[in-house]
Amino acid sequence: MAHLEDQRETVYKVDPANPETKDLPILRTEELLLNMGPQHPATHGVLKVILDLEGERITKSTVVMGFLHRGVEKLAEYGTYHQFIPHTDRLDYVCAMYNNFAYCRAVEKLMNVTVPERAEYLRTIVAEVQRIIGHLFWLGTQALDIGAMTVFFYTFRDREILLDWFDELCGARLTTSWYRIGGVERDFTDSLESKIRDFLAYFPPKIDEYVVFLEKNRIWLARTVGVAVISAEDALGYGLSGPTLRGSGVDYDLRKYESYGAYPKCEFSVPVGKNGDTYDRYWIRIEEMRESIKIIRQCMDQMPKEGPVMAEVPSVTLPPKNRVFTNLESMIQQFKLFSQGFDAPPGEIYCGTEAHKGELGFYIVSTGGGNPYRLKIRSPSFIHMGAFDYMAKGYMIADAVTIFGSYDIVMGECDR
Amino acid sequence: MGLKPVTTPDTEAATIALNIDGETVTAKEGVSLYDVISSMGKIVPAMCYHYTFDPFGSCGMCLVLQEGKKSPVRSCTAKATEGMVIRTDGEDLFAARKKAVEKHLSVHPLDCPVCDADGHCELQDMAFQHQVTNLANAKQKNIPEDTRSLVLDFNMNRCIACGECINICKDVQRIDALQFMKKGGFTQVVAKGDHALDCEFCGDCLAVCPVGAITNKFSKYVYKPWQLRKTTTTCNYCGDGCQLYVETKDTEVVRVTSPLSWKNKWGDRGDTINGHGGLCVRGRFGFQFIDSKERLKEPFIRKETGLAPTPWIEALDTTADRLKDIKSRYGSDAIAGLITARCTNEELYVFQRFMRAVLGTNNLDSSARYGHMNFVRAVHHALGINRTMNSSADVTKAKAILVVGANVTETNPVASLRVKAAIGTYNASVIVVDSMQTNLAKLASHPLMVKPGTEGAFVKGLVKSVVEQDLIDPDPAAQAPEALAALKAAAQAVSIEAVAAETGIPVETIQTVARIFAEASCAVILCGEGIVRQPGGYNHTLSLVDLAWVTGKLTKPGCGINTFTEEGNEQGAVDMGVAPEFLPGPVPYAQDEARQTFSEAWDTTLPDAQSGKSLVEIFEDCRAGKIKALYLVGENPLATLPKSFGVEEALSQLELLICQDPFLTETAHYAHVVFPACTFAEKDGTVTNQEGMVQFVRPALDPLGESALDWHIMVGLANGMGHSLPYETTQDIQADIRKVLPGYYNLGQPRPVAADPTAYLRNGYAESVGARYANGRGQESGRPYGLKLIQLIYHSGKLSTKASGLMDISPNTGTLRMSLEECERLGLAEGGRVRVTSDHGSLELSVQADVSVLPGTCAFPEHFNEPPVKDLVRVVVDPMTRVPYFKSTRVTIEKI
Amino acid sequence: MDTQKQTKRLLDAVLFREIWKAMKVTFKHMLHRPMTFQYPREKRTIPDAHRGALGLLRYDNGQERCVGCDLCEAACPSRCIKVISEEDKSLPLQRYATEFYIDITKCVFCGYCVEACPVNALAMTKMYEYSTHDKRTLLFDKQRLYEIGEQHLEDAKKYLYAHNQEHNDEESRAYRYHFPQPIGKTEGSDS
Repeated sequence: MAHLEDQRETVYKVDPANPETKDLPILRTEELLLNMGPQHPATHGVLKVILDLEGERITKSTVVMGFLHRGVEKLAEYGTYHQFIPHTDRLDYVCAMYNNFAYCRAVEKLMNVTVPERAEYLRTIVAEVQRIIGHLFWLGTQALDIGAMTVFFYTFRDREILLDWFDELCGARLTTSWYRIGGVERDFTDSLESKIRDFLAYFPPKIDEYVVFLEKNRIWLARTVGVAVISAEDALGYGLSGPTLRGSGVDYDLRKYESYGAYPKCEFSVPVGKNGDTYDRYWIRIEEMRESIKIIRQCMDQMPKEGPVMAEVPSVTLPPKNRVFTNLESMIQQFKLFSQGFDAPPGEIYCGTEAHKGELGFYIVSTGGGNPYRLKIRSPSFIHMGAFDYMAKGYMIADAVTIFGSYDIVMGECDR
Repeated sequence: MGLKPVTTPDTEAATIALNIDGETVTAKEGVSLYDVISSMGKIVPAMCYHYTFDPFGSCGMCLVLQEGKKSPVRSCTAKATEGMVIRTDGEDLFAARKKAVEKHLSVHPLDCPVCDADGHCELQDMAFQHQVTNLANAKQKNIPEDTRSLVLDFNMNRCIACGECINICKDVQRIDALQFMKKGGFTQVVAKGDHALDCEFCGDCLAVCPVGAITNKFSKYVYKPWQLRKTTTTCNYCGDGCQLYVETKDTEVVRVTSPLSWKNKWGDRGDTINGHGGLCVRGRFGFQFIDSKERLKEPFIRKETGLAPTPWIEALDTTADRLKDIKSRYGSDAIAGLITARCTNEELYVFQRFMRAVLGTNNLDSSARYGHMNFVRAVHHALGINRTMNSSADVTKAKAILVVGANVTETNPVASLRVKAAIGTYNASVIVVDSMQTNLAKLASHPLMVKPGTEGAFVKGLVKSVVEQDLIDPDPAAQAPEALAALKAAAQAVSIEAVAAETGIPVETIQTVARIFAEASCAVILCGEGIVRQPGGYNHTLSLVDLAWVTGKLTKPGCGINTFTEEGNEQGAVDMGVAPEFLPGPVPYAQDEARQTFSEAWDTTLPDAQSGKSLVEIFEDCRAGKIKALYLVGENPLATLPKSFGVEEALSQLELLICQDPFLTETAHYAHVVFPACTFAEKDGTVTNQEGMVQFVRPALDPLGESALDWHIMVGLANGMGHSLPYETTQDIQADIRKVLPGYYNLGQPRPVAADPTAYLRNGYAESVGARYANGRGQESGRPYGLKLIQLIYHSGKLSTKASGLMDISPNTGTLRMSLEECERLGLAEGGRVRVTSDHGSLELSVQADVSVLPGTCAFPEHFNEPPVKDLVRVVVDPMTRVPYFKSTRVTIEKI
Repeated sequence: MDTQKQTKRLLDAVLFREIWKAMKVTFKHMLHRPMTFQYPREKRTIPDAHRGALGLLRYDNGQERCVGCDLCEAACPSRCIKVISEEDKSLPLQRYATEFYIDITKCVFCGYCVEACPVNALAMTKMYEYSTHDKRTLLFDKQRLYEIGEQHLEDAKKYLYAHNQEHNDEESRAYRYHFPQPIGKTEGSDS
């Protein structure tokens, strides 16, 4: 990694006291302040970065966030726990399922609810599908940012298949709200199962296809290899997680460490990078897609064929609708849960989930009653942006886009 | 801790120790085990329990395990005994309680979607808490809904037979209007005798009903609790100052609820001495006037064509100009103002400052003048205080209560519950002296029905009787022997026999009652409209002071004299100095230092000490053409005062009549300017109840249309007159009041008052007392019947007639109420026509039999002017306090 | 590094071999049928579970299912529903919604209202084309919602089945009883 350090040094060679440059004609130099965003096609939303430039080199970058702030955490305090699920859809709006999953897991931990086995498998499958979608989306846009248009079309074509599958699963392509506290809203149908099996066969060759476009492409390599390097130590120091952290060689994946859902029952490996540069982060995402396919396949095979998809904890989970029509106690449950919510025990809970961006955590403070006293979202996009100044120092303006692109930021999650 | 079953305040029960969940607790023997558990802060579910009455034990939820017993026991009906070891929690108990809930659920209809209680239902909560699922053998009762009552619907399908409604009606309200009845195979709650419910409609049964079995007709099916915004405010209808929750949806008032509810069922029964948190019919069901369609929504100015809607700026400008003009042409004394005591303290304060400092006149008065002023002036004169002396706790715990001329259950229903509790729980002797068969008289130990208008004479008879039987307390003799001697001498003029003849009460009864009152360890006097609103009210109040003084019940803790006020903030009106004789405090206006202080505080010069006209004089001056401009805030003298008083002539003489009211009143038809004001539900501020407690009024709604807060209008007028009042928010006014009346906002506690009669007794008492007892009985009228304008429980003043709910319950029947005997004697059937003739006119009326009216009297509700019975009465003015009396007269009745 | 590899790398660089490899993939796609479709001439097949515009439903006999219980309003995370209910004057003691508004501009299409409804009066349809020049028409009132429900009745029913809200037609009729419960007035008001 030493040569990279040197490269960083060279940036500061514009030195009037330097005898080597002494004889050059003296040009007027001044620092340039550049506002990048919030309206910029490559800022993934409404991110604003103020760049201090020396020529085209970035000497300092100030990230200005909050343009997409909607007070989601505050909204949580005014609704029941259940009502917050659709709000989580709109955090990382390209990967709603994983947000749902992370939130539901946190509340389940708070309420001490055990999810039925089949539901755990379903959740894992859908979460991995969502991971693939997330990585496809990232890959397409990142390549687009760097200038490779074709990959974008191919990844979006395949993403489309999965989004349609989501539509069939839960009725919406993006704002899914399929997960429920204590299970999932709806079981797979035969058609859904066969479609996902078809996809498992269809997809792995497609990954190779994307790789063909990028792996050897000299522009891609020039723009990614050795760019925005962060050491394992620094990455940990900045609190990075997910592919951004694993790219620097830290083997940290909550799916292994906390092993929630059906992950402990699946065999998969966690790809870890070496150099901590943008290329490694790309490579990890490609590999993760392959792992996801493995996980989904194992889940599909191991999953119990029958079984409930919702836990039955009368004080927390919704009753089946047919019982509401005929049973008073179920109707009461329905009315209580929808109008007042369940009575959470006082206490605090933190639950992190390995979303495709990194560790998505929900921290809930409950003082009892139907709504959280405070809900804090640890969103990876936000944390990752904290390392931007450090990682972008010394690179070109054009690199700025690829650098925060390599974190896979989504401003909905970042600004919350 | 609960009072019953064996502990009464008089007999001290033994203290016992028992072990609950490993903790040792001490309690009084015989108290319900449930009360002991809940006093520890542990909540054991119970659906039929409420701290305001004795445990009933029907729901089977409050199960606890007692060591040595196999099955769980119901803790509410079990009594705490020495050495009990109790466990209140555990899997087995949870299961047992779950079974109990299941029992209730299995016969409950699937009504949540339509039920009004949904979201505020104890059965729901219990079923949810105990995680009941998959109940087998659910069945339906299919009982038709009882919709016969005017106010409440009874859906007995939803009833869980907890009996809370019946118990609260019996134990707290002591009306006992409900009962259980086996009907159609199910135990149902029905009105007594299975008739349509016809009671006081306090609605406490509705408040405590843990399910939706009792529903409010006025807001049935129009809301769900989560749609409503709840505002805690203070009721405006009477001086009790009950706290209530106005529940609103957008711009409409959906319902009014009380702090009393099944939700706060845990408490100490002993605490009910400070009130049980319930409401009366007016508070609970009389809210419709707030968002009434009749409300004024913009200002009006009289043009050639009549009252024309005018923008605020123009209306304020014009009015201010005209006031300025009148002030410059005729002087300040040509302007006068009257304000209703339903306004907040802040508004009353701004009003009197506006009148005195901006208009420069002391011609101002409030509706406290109609009666409360008699009491205030009397106790101010005699004792140096300005309000009632006792708290509701004192009343509840008194051993003897003398209720004179106060039909409390009708005028101040919630305050009457304290007397009822004194009778029922604390076994007090209650002496009710009234010319009506009041509800309280039915419960009292000594109900004394006097002839109309002789309540004052009866008090004199009591004083005489005390002197005669030598029941005089040693204290007063020592305190002011000359005064006592003078009183004794004065009492010589009174003969008990004469009093007995006048009042119709036998001599022995007077003697007994005097003895009971004098010998009680602690006794209170409650006087009401039958004293303070009847001729001689001031002197009669002073006689009551005499009575309390000689029996030693004046300054002793827990003893004293109290009154009831009719309008929400009459006490506040007095405290804020809205009377020509008082400045805020109240301090006498004639006091030079006080005027000095206020003129400095307001940076102005105040009108002369001698100036100032009270209500009656204002109208006299209007008639005489001396007053040219009259500012009426919420007052409606045309509808209040009898025609013979000449309000109409007075108003037509005015150059400028400003009416400021939420509604277009009768008086407003003479007005030159009409300002739309707000109701209490839109106001922010405080009111002072009859006990002297300053309570918050909070806005539940934004002002309707363009209507404005009363003080906003006054400040606007002041600005228009080039005199700015430095108020932008209610808090500014409060800060001002704090400055001039330190300690007035005493954190919801009544400001302590110390009654001290010493100065009164030493200076001039001896000279004046003789005259008071000498003047004997008034001139005898040739007319045989006493006509009384009475207050109904369902109404308060004229305001309640705008509340459609109350008008549904008690519409204006236009009938004269007479006793059954009297009707029979005259050969009148229900609805028979009679001609009623007084010295001032004659009317044809239908007759309605009313058991509460005594023979020899007839009554008509004062709230209604159609037919204009009030015009039969002549206004008698008190020579001392200038209080107009117009609530009774003598009439002849002929059948036609 | 051996020479062969060196040469290969050099050749790769000079001949832009990676570009050719990529172009091969691209050219292969030229023979593929188009992945896109021409909206609005062609439309997606929308799955039954799709969460589109909301509609109100009636029973088969034409009676409104909605009893105005307002649970949808309580369940709505975006507070876009407003129900005003009242006692039905023509059918005493029955509750119904006099007004029912869904501000579709605020709606997040989460389907919680349908899940909450204790009588399955609400359902989502496959309707998604209701863009307009007048934003005010996007406040769907009761009449509009019933119209949507009637026009998309089949879709609405399919939605309810797809989301386990209804299992079969029998069940929707075999509630313990219909809402509101038909209870008559007390026989004869005897006072």
